[in-house]
Order: sequence, then structure tokens, then C-alpha cells
Amino acid sequence: MNTSTTEIILFIIHSLFFIYAVFAIASYVILAIISAIETKEYMKKNSFVNYKEILSSTISPSISIIAPAYNESLNIIENVRSLLSSHYVNYDVIIVNDGSKDDSLEKLIVAYDLVKVNFLINQQIPTKPIRAGVFKSTNPAFEKLTVVDKENGGKADALNMGLNISDNQYVACIDVDCLLLENALQKMVKPFLEVTEEKVIATGGVIRIANSCIIKNGKLLDVNLPKKLIEKAQILEYLRAFLLGRMAWSRLNGLLVISGAFGLFDKKIAIEVGGYDTNTVGEDMEIIVRMRRYMQEIKEKYRVAYIPDPLCWTEAPDNYKIFISQRNRWTRGTIETLRKHRKIAFNKKYKSLGMLSYPYWLFFERLAPVIEVIGIVYFTILMALNEVRWDYAIAFIVLAYFFTILFSIVAIFSEELTYHQYKKKGTGFKLLLITALEPFVLHPFILYAAIRGNIDYYFNKKKKWGEMTRKGMAKA
Amino acid sequence: MESYQYLLDYFENSPPIIKGVWILSAVFFISVIILTTYLKILRSRLRKNEKKVAEYQKEYESDLITYLYAGNEEDVISAEQQIIVDKLRSCASDEFKRRVIVSTLLRLRNEISGEMADAIQKLYFQSGLISFALKRLKSKKWYVVAKGIRELTQLHIKEVHDKIALLVNHPKKEIRKEVQLYLVTLFHFDGLQFLDVLQTQLSEWDQIQLLEVLQRFDEQEIPDINPWLKSTNDSVVAFALKLAKIYNQFEVKDTLIELLSHPQKKIRVDAIHVLSHLQVFEAKTILKNNFDKLSQEEQIEFFKLLENLCETSDEPFLLTQTTHQNFEIKLSVLKILKTLSNEKFKDLKDFSTDADYVKIYEFLAYNES
Amino acid sequence: MSDAKKIVLAEDNSTLSLLLKFRLEKEGYKLLIAVDGKEAIEMIEQYDPELILTDIMMPFISGLEVISHVRNKLNKQTPIIVFSAAGQEEMVLKAFNLGANDFMGKPFSPNELVIRVKRLLR
Repeated sequence: MNTSTTEIILFIIHSLFFIYAVFAIASYVILAIISAIETKEYMKKNSFVNYKEILSSTISPSISIIAPAYNESLNIIENVRSLLSSHYVNYDVIIVNDGSKDDSLEKLIVAYDLVKVNFLINQQIPTKPIRAGVFKSTNPAFEKLTVVDKENGGKADALNMGLNISDNQYVACIDVDCLLLENALQKMVKPFLEVTEEKVIATGGVIRIANSCIIKNGKLLDVNLPKKLIEKAQILEYLRAFLLGRMAWSRLNGLLVISGAFGLFDKKIAIEVGGYDTNTVGEDMEIIVRMRRYMQEIKEKYRVAYIPDPLCWTEAPDNYKIFISQRNRWTRGTIETLRKHRKIAFNKKYKSLGMLSYPYWLFFERLAPVIEVIGIVYFTILMALNEVRWDYAIAFIVLAYFFTILFSIVAIFSEELTYHQYKKKGTGFKLLLITALEPFVLHPFILYAAIRGNIDYYFNKKKKWGEMTRKGMAKA
Repeated sequence: MESYQYLLDYFENSPPIIKGVWILSAVFFISVIILTTYLKILRSRLRKNEKKVAEYQKEYESDLITYLYAGNEEDVISAEQQIIVDKLRSCASDEFKRRVIVSTLLRLRNEISGEMADAIQKLYFQSGLISFALKRLKSKKWYVVAKGIRELTQLHIKEVHDKIALLVNHPKKEIRKEVQLYLVTLFHFDGLQFLDVLQTQLSEWDQIQLLEVLQRFDEQEIPDINPWLKSTNDSVVAFALKLAKIYNQFEVKDTLIELLSHPQKKIRVDAIHVLSHLQVFEAKTILKNNFDKLSQEEQIEFFKLLENLCETSDEPFLLTQTTHQNFEIKLSVLKILKTLSNEKFKDLKDFSTDADYVKIYEFLAYNES
Repeated sequence: MSDAKKIVLAEDNSTLSLLLKFRLEKEGYKLLIAVDGKEAIEMIEQYDPELILTDIMMPFISGLEVISHVRNKLNKQTPIIVFSAAGQEEMVLKAFNLGANDFMGKPFSPNELVIRVKRLLR
């Protein structure tokens, strides 16, 4: 190879990296601006909504909370109690015990006076069979509770069982260990009732991190900033994702994910598309993509709504081992979903779903870690060959670093101006400090987990299946 | 000094792209510093405001209570009350304080009724707070208008009816919603007259809120809902159907039957539902004769009606439907047949080998024992 | 003053609490005000009041739980009046099942409340 071809190749590589970076940064800036507009409008609209009236109304639509549980014996009693304490009137709670090997079921039977009942299930989605049966409480105070005990089939399978059992119009699919605020259901159901010009098929909620917060009797008493760096960094990450990213995508009606930990669905459509996919670890993303695709195909106007209020609180991983395995799973979920729905990519028939949401997700979520690693490898090779133009390298690294910090600070501002959950003196400074540290204490692990996820997906199919049946309930 | 000079030279001699990147970095860095400082100010301001609100609220709360208990039997203001009126009047010119005063008044107004509630309204007039709410109605910002209407609703200011009624078809739905709530909260069923002229859709959320408000009143004398059932605005028809059900409007049954052939499926289904609730047997015959032309949703709703209104004469028809492919309908059919005659139901045991049929049959048979 | 009858009032709307405090103290009762169910339970345990007024919907611990605590944990027959908002009929029924003696639907007239309080404390 002569020097000029090498130079041309190098030039192309550099340009590609450069173009990717410019697009990535531009997309972040655009999303931040859109989210600012949307947030402002949302806050204005919601500053005088009366939720009290809808919550007490018996004519409000019926909702089922479906919470799958796998070996949750330790906290199941309190968790169920928390789910039963919602202020919404017309709802019930379906706990699906997904073949737990512990004493979850026995504990529930004792605590809630459960008895086995004769129950007719319209099996619209195939699932693993019932094990011990369907249980209801003899105590009228717990009349809203149904417990289903079934053979183990993973989280998606358990949710499908819940969809079959529910008799209600909407289903809230949540993780059993989530803490829902008392007014969560009426806020989440609002978009379904309010939008008249489009069909709302699902509403996504925000996940807030409950580590170090004080929770008693299923109620959130005090919000604290946790001590560990990994926890604080995740708080920042969640603020960015939920207050900037998803808020903007909801404005564009391009949301592709609803957190598995808290989402509300139109049951009829969820069943029509076949329920959750039991062959993926990313069932929460997959079902939304499938529902969207379905609506596009039947050519009905639709929307996936989003409620940015802090309504659902959950514990985030507080050590790197669990964190990495969680992100590894998320990565595989994303890959599986995008591959399964390849058909919509750049397909004009699917409008913005195919032309905007999907490509964005592919390039800036799915491929970002891969491209980053290629960049690092390339940079290392250049270093080894002593070919690095340090003036360029340093300038760009510094730029990227400041940009990251700036973006995080915008997220913090967005939080302060809207929900202002971290009220205590001094937490503002701590959050700011984390914006500077996060690129070092969290990002490398996210990158590592994503790469591991890619490797596991392509070269370690066995792992997936083991996880699906045994450990399908890990936190999402 | 030397290194400073060096950096400057370095920068001067760099290619433009590097220069650009460094300048951008500097801009980012400065923004970070500015935002950090601002965040500090913002957080302490938020904290301070929260404290101030609590403080003011406490103060106004006790002012309000004093006012309420300082009234004498005659209609005039007592001296003690006048002091409070004057104080609130001067505080009201400050926007922050006014917000706290109004929210304090509202917090109490929403919870109590009777003389005291009237006294709060009187104070609202005396202290001049009302003029600020009226000013809001003229604002160009929609949320200011909406908030103004809400305030007037909660304080039950009937005097502004004509001004507010003009906004019934306002392009912004948040304003329309507040207008509707104003009319219905203050004028009850009479307030519903806006349905005659409503051009926009009344969302399900709006409908529920209005019904909730209406259900708070004891008077159950409801105006003629026939015109709304015949409205060209489908959402008004849907709302009228809900009224028909809640207030058992048997006298509109003919209009309800007409709605069985409404172009909107949702309305046809709702009409069946209401007819079932009102136990209109005529509807059964009409639907039965027309059964094959109904959509699946209507068929399901029709069987729910049958569960409610079945007679022995329906048996032959029901027997033709035991093999319906829909699960819910199959369940309804077997349930009704069982209610009609347990003996005949027993004979149906081996009628079909369809898995769903067997499952439903066993479920119903088991429930018997 | 020590023979004044004690009433615990659990209500998260401080303005309403204050109004009722004034009104009932004018009638010669001693009012103890709790801002949520948790505080109410603590006060009931500490002061053993003659009457309890509680809102049904309160942060942290609901009025229903307060009633259940008094009747089942403390085994007391202290009269209880609950306040409910429109549309909470279901909750009111539950409150009666748990042992509430009377209820007032919001919005209510303070004078009416005084009459009911007097009746229960006669």
C-alpha cells in the first residue's frame, strides 16, 4: 500500500468518526431543546389539574396492576401492601408468582387470608400452566387482590398470564418491588382519557431511584441522595434519560421504550399484538415496538404517552457486579428488539417510527458502545505507532468532557425547575460534583457491560436461556 | 508567564479546527461555571420561597380565621374585620403574597359549606382579590386565563357567567375544560347548556370530571337529554348516554333505540349498555333480529344485555350461539342458559368438544356445587 | 381546665384544622391537632382523648388505619367521626365497618360538626 491510499483510508475513517460525533452531539442538543419546550408546556398544563376528582370517581376506567414475582419472599408482603394502597378507586392488583421456589405463596396466603378460587381464564395469550391455582382474599379489605401461582416461565410469561386474567380495560405492568405513589394511577391513565384525536396505546412512567430514601409502610417519607458514587451517578443518568431524553421523544411521539418497571397499556391492543415476547430479555422495549408497528400497519393514528412526574421509585444496583449484569441484559434486549423488527428500519411505510426513532436507536443506543470501542482501539494503535496528533486528541477530549458535564447540568436544572425532589441543603453541590465524576465512575462500566452484552448475544446463546427460565426477574 | 506566552503562541499557530474546538470548550466551561452559580442561587431561592410560603400561609390562615369569627350578627363589617380586609388588600398587590392568600382561601373554601363559605366569598370581594382574577381572564396567555377561571369556580363567583360562557368554544382545550367546570360547578344541570353549542370534542376525562361534579348535588331533576343524544357532536352523545345511565332516564328510550343504528360503533355499543341498564326489552328483540349484522363488540355487549334481560323464549336463539367463536360470548350464552334452566344446562355437557366450551362448561357447572 | 374534654383532630389541611380548633375550643373542648395519621396515632396513645375526628385521605397513614388502630390495637371505644370527600362512599362504608361512629362529607358546615360532636360527647 502506498502512502496516499493509506492517507485516504485514514481520512475516511477520521471523517466517519467526526461525522458520527457531530450527529451525536447535535442530537443531544436538539433533544434537550425539545424537552425544554415540552417540559414547560407540561408543567403549565398540569399546574391546575384536579386529580382528586378522577381518582374517586367510580366511572373512571378500570385498571389492573400486574406484578410478576419470582423468589421475592423477603419483601413480598410489604410490596403487595404498597400496591394495594393506591388512591385510585377502580383498580385491582394481580400478583403473578412465577414458579418461585421460596415460600412467597405461603406467606401471601397467611398475610392476606387467601383461599383458592375457581377461576375461568380466557387464555388469549399462551403461557406456562397454573401451578397451585388462583387465590383471592376472604378479607373484604383485600378484595382488590388476586394472586396467581404458575409454573416458571420468566417475566414476560408472567405478565402474559396477568393479561389473560385481568378483566379490566387498562393494565399497569410493574416490578413487584416498585413503590408507586398513591396518585400514580390517575396520572398515568390521564392521557388515555384526554387525547381525542389519536388513540393512546400506552403510557410510560418515570423511574426514580429509591436507594437511601426512607420508605415505611409502603410510603415514601423522605427523599435522600445516596452515599455511594455508583448510586449517585445512576441518579444523574436517570435524570438525563427521563427528563431530557424521553421527554423529548414523547413530544416527537417517538418513544420506543417504556420502562419494564412501570408502564400502563391498553389491554385490548396488548393482547391483540400477542402480549409480551417470551423469547427476549428486553420484553419491555419489544412490546412497545410491536404495538407501534401494529398501529402503523392497521393505519390508525396513535400515540405512546409519557408522564414525567416522579411516581415510581425503585432500588437501583448498588454494586458494580449487579449493575454490569443489568446493563448487559439491557444491551441484549435492545439488540434482540432491533433485530426482530429490522423490517421497519428506514421503511417509509412506518413513517417516523422507521425513519427517525428506529435509526436513532440503532445508531446512538445500539451502536454507540461498539463505535466507542472501535475508537478506543484505533486510538491505542495510533499511540503504539506513535502517530497520535496530541493537539487534536486533547482538544477533542476536553471538548467532549465539558459537553458531557454541560448536558448533565441541564438535566439537573430540568429537575430543579420541575420536581425539585432533592431539597436538602448541599445536595445541589453533590450532584454537580457527580456530573464531573460520572464519566469516570459510571461510563466505563456501562461501556464494558454493553460490550459484554454484545459478546454474550452473539457468542453465548446458552447464557440467555439459562437466565430466561431461572432468573428472569432481575430488576429492570 | 513564559508558559502563558507559550500557550498563547500554540493557540495562535494551531489549525483553525483546533482553534474552534478550544473556543467551544471555553464556551462550555464558562457555561458550566455560570450554570453552577445559578444553580446554587436557584436552589437557595427555591428553599427560601418554600419557607416564605409556609410563613405567609400561617399568617394569612390566622387572619382568615380571625375574620371569620369576628363577624357580628348584622351584615356590616366589624372593626376587627375591616383591619384584616385592609391588610389583605394591600398584600394583594404583591403577586407572591396574593398567590398565598388565594390558595389559603381556597384551601378552606373547598372543605366547608354554609355561612362560613359565604363569608370567605365576601372577603374575596372586599379585599379586591376578585379584580385580579377578572384581569386574568383578559390575558393573552392561555394558562393565565385557565387559572383565573379555576379560581372563580372554586370561589363560586356566579357574577361572571356571561364573560366565561363566551369561551365555551375557545381553541385551547385547557380553557374549554375550565369553562365547562365553571358552568357545571356553579349552575349544575343548567350549566350543561353549553353542550348545545359545543363544537369540539369532550374528552373522556372531561366527561368524568363533569359527572363527578354533578353527582355532588342532591337535586336529581335533570333536563331533557334528548337533544344531546341526537347531537351531531359524537362526544356529546357519548356524554348524554352516561347521563342517561346514571340518572336512569327511562323516558329517552326511543332515542336510545335510534342510537342502535348510529354510524359510530362506540356509540352503538354504549347505547346497548344503557338500554340493558334501563331494562328496555324492546331493544332485545331489535338486536336479536339484527344479530348477524352486528360487529363483534356489539354482539358481546348484546349478550351482556341478555344476561340481564333473558326470558325462556330466548332459548332457541341462545342454542344457536353456543358454538360462537368468541370466548366471552360463549361464556355469556352458557351462563344465560344455565340461569334459564339448570336441568337443560346439564344436557348441554357433551354438546361440543371445543376446548374453550369444555372449560367454560366445567367452570359454570363447578360453581353450582 | 383539666376537665375539658379532649378531641384529637387528624386533618392534613391546616387551615381547616385551625378553623375547627377555634370553633370547638369556643365550645369548651381541648383540641389536639395532628397533620397526618401517624401523628394522630401518637397523640391518641399519649392523651387518650374523648373523641377523634379524622380525615379519611391523609398522607402516610390513612384515616381508615387510624380507626383500625384505635379499635383493634388499642381496643378503645372512643367515638370517631370521619371526614370524607365526594365520591369516597366506598371508603366511608369501610370506615363504618372498622368502627367509625359518624361521618361528615366535605364540604361540610362547621356548625353542623359542632352539633354532631356535642351529640357524641353528651
